[in-house]
Amino acid sequence: MQTIDARERGIAQAIAWLRRGLLTHVAVTLLVALLGLLAGFQSSPELLGMVRQSLMFNYSGAADAAALLLVLISLANISALLVLVVAIQAHESWVLPGNVLVILANLVLVVWLGCLTGLLTVVFGGLAVASMARVSGLLRSNPVMVRELRGRMRGARAFVVLTLYLALMGGFSLILYFIFGAVNAQNASSATGIIGRTLFTGVVGIQLLLIILIAPSFTAGAITGERERQTYDLVRTTLLSTPSFILGKLESSLAYILLLLLAAIPLQALAFLFGGIGQAELLLAFVILGVTALAFGAVGIYFSASQTRTLSASVRTYAVISIGAFGAPLIALFVLNLLLGSSLVSSGSDAAPLIETTLQYLRLLATSLNPFTTAIDTQALLVEQQVWGVYARTLASNGSTIPMISSWIPFTIVYVAAAAVLMVVTIRATRSNDHES
Amino acid sequence: MSEFIIETHDLVKKFGNFTAVNGLSLQVPVGSIYGFVGPNGAGKTTTMRILTTLTRPTSGGAFINGVSVLDDPRAVRRAIGYMPDEFGVYDDMRAWEYLDFFASCYDIPLAERKKLIDDLLALVDLSHRREDMVDKLSRGMKQRLSLARTLAHDPSVLILDEPASGLDPRARVEIRELLVELAKMGKTIFFSTHILADVSEICTHIGIVEAGQIIAQGSMDEMRAQLQPHREITVTVRDAEAAETVKRTVGGLTGVVNVVDLEAKGGRYRVRIDYTGDDDGVAALNASINNAGVSILGFTEETKDLEAMFMRVTKGIVT
Repeated sequence: MQTIDARERGIAQAIAWLRRGLLTHVAVTLLVALLGLLAGFQSSPELLGMVRQSLMFNYSGAADAAALLLVLISLANISALLVLVVAIQAHESWVLPGNVLVILANLVLVVWLGCLTGLLTVVFGGLAVASMARVSGLLRSNPVMVRELRGRMRGARAFVVLTLYLALMGGFSLILYFIFGAVNAQNASSATGIIGRTLFTGVVGIQLLLIILIAPSFTAGAITGERERQTYDLVRTTLLSTPSFILGKLESSLAYILLLLLAAIPLQALAFLFGGIGQAELLLAFVILGVTALAFGAVGIYFSASQTRTLSASVRTYAVISIGAFGAPLIALFVLNLLLGSSLVSSGSDAAPLIETTLQYLRLLATSLNPFTTAIDTQALLVEQQVWGVYARTLASNGSTIPMISSWIPFTIVYVAAAAVLMVVTIRATRSNDHES
Repeated sequence: MSEFIIETHDLVKKFGNFTAVNGLSLQVPVGSIYGFVGPNGAGKTTTMRILTTLTRPTSGGAFINGVSVLDDPRAVRRAIGYMPDEFGVYDDMRAWEYLDFFASCYDIPLAERKKLIDDLLALVDLSHRREDMVDKLSRGMKQRLSLARTLAHDPSVLILDEPASGLDPRARVEIRELLVELAKMGKTIFFSTHILADVSEICTHIGIVEAGQIIAQGSMDEMRAQLQPHREITVTVRDAEAAETVKRTVGGLTGVVNVVDLEAKGGRYRVRIDYTGDDDGVAALNASINNAGVSILGFTEETKDLEAMFMRVTKGIVT
């Protein structure tokens, strides 16, 4: 018997449309993956050709690459729609422009690649936008975020931290420069491109390390901190909704990290002086860093909401991150590399190409579960083949090629989707926990 | 809508084997200042947490403005302002930002907030501390700021858990005056306390809770009548002879239950008259003593203090 006003009805409607869009993309993903498997097992490439003809009619590349792209586009849409569903529950002001942006991106795909599945998002997203547009007063800044940022940016502390951070990064770059200057002087091969690339890699590596340490620590104390300061009940008796509360916490932490990332861009760009890196590298590094902060921050929020003490929330957060994003993928990668070098692949049997293809895709997945391996893989691909998207990989077993993608793409999809799912779970858990205490 | 703005029916809350609230039924009339009195651990805070939608009752019903806290928690939250017993403070905020945050949590548009915050700060007499950091305020000021926070969305009911605990006497009086002021503005105030002076000073209604149950409740007058079988009038006279005259004079009058000699104090003799009549009777009593030729030095009716009431009511239940 909740009082449901026009605003809440509009929001519920928008969520329903987004959810429908999401489900159709799941169906597309499964369908194309199934067709891909069929084509692979029965070795009938015309199946995939049909897919390209009908769903990606403007795409000039290979048919299997078209199928892979199709799956990726659907997965990316699933991630984006999930994020929108979470955000709209929190009445976030960026939902409307975000939704429009997703629709525009899909329109570009439709026109550029002839990717018809993009129309699904255009239609369902458009309906969601229509529902949202009818709701007045949806646009507002999240109260929790405003408050947290006010506190965080107050006084000298925030700027001292920023200065220290930049000084450390600058010092580190300088050390790298001198070391490589000395090494290269001995080798007498003055490849400044290598210096540039090393500087860039070093700075990004340190940033990634910092983010992995900082993002969870910011968020793991976000909700337990409210409990410890005894402000939790105060906020919970206001009209602030659970999604707004939780997303506000995540956003305020991410906003500060974003500031750290933006502040370090000039340092990364220092590498342009020496050459060896391009804008694509800069952009992709930023995406990987940002997505890492988002996902690890979300893990912190999850445990912060389910634990009562900051300490236990932090411990669990770091444990899950080190196992899920480091331990498990790195071990998997190690095993997969062993298998790829084994007789399973080099035996020349009929099954070898299929096994190798499977192992290669599994390796892609394992690579893209860890931000460091993703960054290394993405950069290696950019340096060696100047590729940031789809490319063809030659199989060792029979010399044929399979389509592959740069690992930052699956990394982004998986991490963003994981963050959105974690937020949904956290919101649900918080709602039911509150009533039991 | 009923005349009671807060109502609970047989409210029960169990935490595992421990029963915090055990069939508690209370009624708070619109516009009253209701003192919710009881020893620590009687279930006051738990009851308040149920009323503020923070805790679900194990069984029974709780209603604010006739709306069940279980059916429509958002409507209930809109109607109440809650101040818990511990003062939750964000250490990195100014006084106005503190109010601004909570106002925004209640969906109050940005354009209206500045004036609202000014009004609230003026109401609790903190306008001069507008820019001060919240954690630098004194305890009494924090408590007043907290009270201002509960008013941000103009609720009809204030639910205050121990609003005066831990305050110095001056701050306590200030809070008390504020509560009276708010009641004049038409708010119903439901507050828990174990400081009985607060209750006798300002409350219009009182509920005494013990071991998770209401053992007595009603308006202050009803409670007095209920707990105090007769009025006690003390007559002070100059000497023992006059005291004897007083005893003789009133001894036979109707309504006089008992006449007792009290210990002489400062050379003055005192007689206590237990009387069950009304105010006219009391005046007549005075007149009859006067007519008997006794010069009265003092004629006072003792109001039984609440502590005595409280002790009598709770006797034997708490061990």
